[in-house]
Amino acid sequence: MSKIGVFVCHCGENISATVDCARVAETSGKLDGVAYSVDYKYMCSDPGQSLIKSAIKEKGLTGVVVAACSPRMHEPTFRKACAEAGLNPYMCEMANLREHVSWVHEKGEATTEKAIDLVRILVEKVKYNQSLNAIKVPVTKTALVIGGGIAGIQASLDIANTGHKVILIEKDPSIGGHMSQLSETFPTLDCSQCILTPRMVEVAQHPNITLYSYAELESVEGFIGNFKVKIRRKSKSIDEKLCTGCGLCTTKCPVKKIPSEFNEGLGMRTAIYVPFPQAVPNKPVIDREHCTYYLKGKCRICEKVCPIQAIRFDQEDTIEEVEIGAIVLATGFSVKQPDFFPEYGYGKYPDVITGLQFERLASASGPTLGEIRRPSDGKVPQNIVFVACAGSRDEAKGIPYCSKICCMYIAKHAMLYQHKVHGGKSYVFYMDIRAGGKNYEEFVRRAIEEDGVNYVRGRVSRIYEKNGKLIVKGVDTLLGAMPVDIEADMVVLATAGVANSDAEALAQKLHVSYDAYKFFAEAHPKLKPVETNTAGIFLAGACQSPRDIPESVSMASGAAVKVACLFSQDELTRDPLIAVVNRMAPPVYSSCVGCFLCVSACPYQAIEKEEIKNRAGEVIKTLARVNPGLCQGCGTCVAFCRTKSIDLQGYTHEQMYTEVMALLNEY
Amino acid sequence: MDELIKRAKELLEAGTVKVVIGYENGSADKTRALFAIEPKDADKLIFDSRCVMNLATYITKAEVKGKGKMAITATLPVMRAIIQLASEFQVNDSNLLVLGITPESKMIEFKDLAEVEAFVHKYTIEIEAKYSEKLEKLDKMTPSERWSFWIEELSPCFKCYACRAACPMCYCHKCTVEFNQPQWIPVPSHDLGNLEWHMMRAIHLAGRCIDCDACYNACPLGIPLNLLTKRMLIDAKEHFGGYQPSIKADHLMSTYKPDDKDNFIM
Repeated sequence: MSKIGVFVCHCGENISATVDCARVAETSGKLDGVAYSVDYKYMCSDPGQSLIKSAIKEKGLTGVVVAACSPRMHEPTFRKACAEAGLNPYMCEMANLREHVSWVHEKGEATTEKAIDLVRILVEKVKYNQSLNAIKVPVTKTALVIGGGIAGIQASLDIANTGHKVILIEKDPSIGGHMSQLSETFPTLDCSQCILTPRMVEVAQHPNITLYSYAELESVEGFIGNFKVKIRRKSKSIDEKLCTGCGLCTTKCPVKKIPSEFNEGLGMRTAIYVPFPQAVPNKPVIDREHCTYYLKGKCRICEKVCPIQAIRFDQEDTIEEVEIGAIVLATGFSVKQPDFFPEYGYGKYPDVITGLQFERLASASGPTLGEIRRPSDGKVPQNIVFVACAGSRDEAKGIPYCSKICCMYIAKHAMLYQHKVHGGKSYVFYMDIRAGGKNYEEFVRRAIEEDGVNYVRGRVSRIYEKNGKLIVKGVDTLLGAMPVDIEADMVVLATAGVANSDAEALAQKLHVSYDAYKFFAEAHPKLKPVETNTAGIFLAGACQSPRDIPESVSMASGAAVKVACLFSQDELTRDPLIAVVNRMAPPVYSSCVGCFLCVSACPYQAIEKEEIKNRAGEVIKTLARVNPGLCQGCGTCVAFCRTKSIDLQGYTHEQMYTEVMALLNEY
Repeated sequence: MDELIKRAKELLEAGTVKVVIGYENGSADKTRALFAIEPKDADKLIFDSRCVMNLATYITKAEVKGKGKMAITATLPVMRAIIQLASEFQVNDSNLLVLGITPESKMIEFKDLAEVEAFVHKYTIEIEAKYSEKLEKLDKMTPSERWSFWIEELSPCFKCYACRAACPMCYCHKCTVEFNQPQWIPVPSHDLGNLEWHMMRAIHLAGRCIDCDACYNACPLGIPLNLLTKRMLIDAKEHFGGYQPSIKADHLMSTYKPDDKDNFIM
């Protein structure tokens, strides 16, 4: 006979404001098999847990139902409490009275009834619970960092410095990411490359870091501590071991008019190229989409000029298979291009540029060597307009969120302009100035007060060209919505920061959640900001939402610590809530007929063949077997098995059936 | 089918196979399965238009399989069933030899199952016009009309399980309906019990049913069970590019592809 304890939590007022907790406890106390029931203000608190522990000991409970919040939140807490009182932790179940009842229903009779129903079905389930033992799995102590921007660089260095191996993959020919494109950084105006490039070199030279540039994630299998990852190393068409990076090939390449990605299309590059002089690795790749040899079958000039014959036209992509314990996603973000804005000319005015393009103009390594010259005719703009929130905070554009970094970089841009173009006039159209952060507000004030940047609070409705000038039609809402027309020589749009175009596909490959804007979702907005919902996969930087450099770096260090915590253990303990194929006495052995349709249904490749042999070693029967190390307990195979030969521990057919029947039957 | 008899005798005499499965004359001008074990048994082999039962249903039975290597007289539906069974690891080259009969009633002996598969793939599974009409009519019904249609059609069923016995894909030793801890599918032949049984069977055949109509032919009450499985074939075509039994292909229902349509989720 079961002796079940029901513990109803008020969750402060979270549950009790809507649900009559005392009645839930009283009613469940009368259920068949319930030996004890009680309600308490905070069941997860120390006295709450003691209540459970002492009841287990004093009443000799055989099962526990905690009616509180989501099991995602506190199931481990209560299972641990049960274990401490000598009860098998898997004899404890949670009824979710918070997310499933109080938070989604009004106060009322039916709400309390629903709470009682949820408790009731779990009481019936617990009667069929069985003692289970945790599974231990080994940890592969190598981390994979995806993305070689500042977040990926920082995460790699931090993990590597704890003594663990790191594989860093970057899809572009060089690491560095967006930070390498920036001119100077707010709020100190120190040169971005000057602080970044030493880190890039450190990555390349670190004995614990393997850097694969020009590489992408092909596939991921497995789970925390035991991922099997395939990396596609795109062909660079050069022998990296031979190449010294002398750069002769890049000077002789006849295809010289390819818009440079690094310079945001404001400069040109060759088909065999190094993205920028400080690139790491500083060895060229051939862009096969533009190379004359790949397009027309002739040329091979780079091959002729290469002093060490390092060009390999027939090189193919290679797939590297690696075993990984943890993954840090640091794939960064993109910015909307001017062609997203019909009101600003759909990108048809060459002098309407993005903030990132302005960075290149202001950068000493940029196409103008740091002089602010407009793209159309190379003239120095005497009037410049900066438009904040281009796309951001605009429901009509489908981007209701704040891109966060723009207010600060616009202040920086305007300041750099004023420093470089003496006598020039700069205007900033803004909605609000969001300068929260250490020394941030002071920085913006400096732009306004010391450098004389004209801040106009209002939005820009239209930009059009007239007599060689860009007419910016805006409004000043601080002067009673007075229309403001500015004749500008150049306009810089602080275009919204958005997720990369391939973010969704990548998230699906990795089974991590993402939000409506395709930014990767953290496991908890406050308490688990660098974790994802998939154990062993962490987030760093702007792939989670637009972030500035200090935030990306701190997040990367945070993710690195999470990886280091994981790697500090030799074994991981996992819940034994996994699928098991039934076994029976000979000559049946199992009701499994060995059709192995479950093998293709399993998303984790956890099902294998097991041969049953007689004493002579002959195979009598071939059955499915679930590998307990790989199974994630999703239950797909259970649903798929026609003979119902597979059962999910902790969620068995009997438990599920009992729950359904408890719900359907009157009590 | 002198050729068939001759070859069956040769195979049994040489001991290449231990049993030849085919058709023989039964009572009341019907045909029944023949299991020729001695060469002389092969004299009884026949093949004509009455031979519609799907013989593939026997090749998974322990009593037949246990005799040793089998040879089977296989029409196109039987061959399709064999390929599907091979993909489910129930038969293979070492235990089955196929004596195919083409739709033109010509005998071809296949070297291996790969050859059978190649032959099967020359034809696609098409729903006959008379069934398409019935299915279209069902489609046009409101959900409640359709519900009443099926409750009524299924109400005479007394669960003799002839459909299951006749189906080559129903080879499980322990059927879902026999799983009784807990008894998910009710055993009694009441409306709900009948509906759950037939729905479960149809779902278990999705992406596996080779459209041989054996279930319908076996049903003593003439319940149009095959409308359910034919509907699955149409859905398979609309949503997953169609079904064709293949030895190595991934199973239609268990394989997820990122570009799968999800318009069947209501």
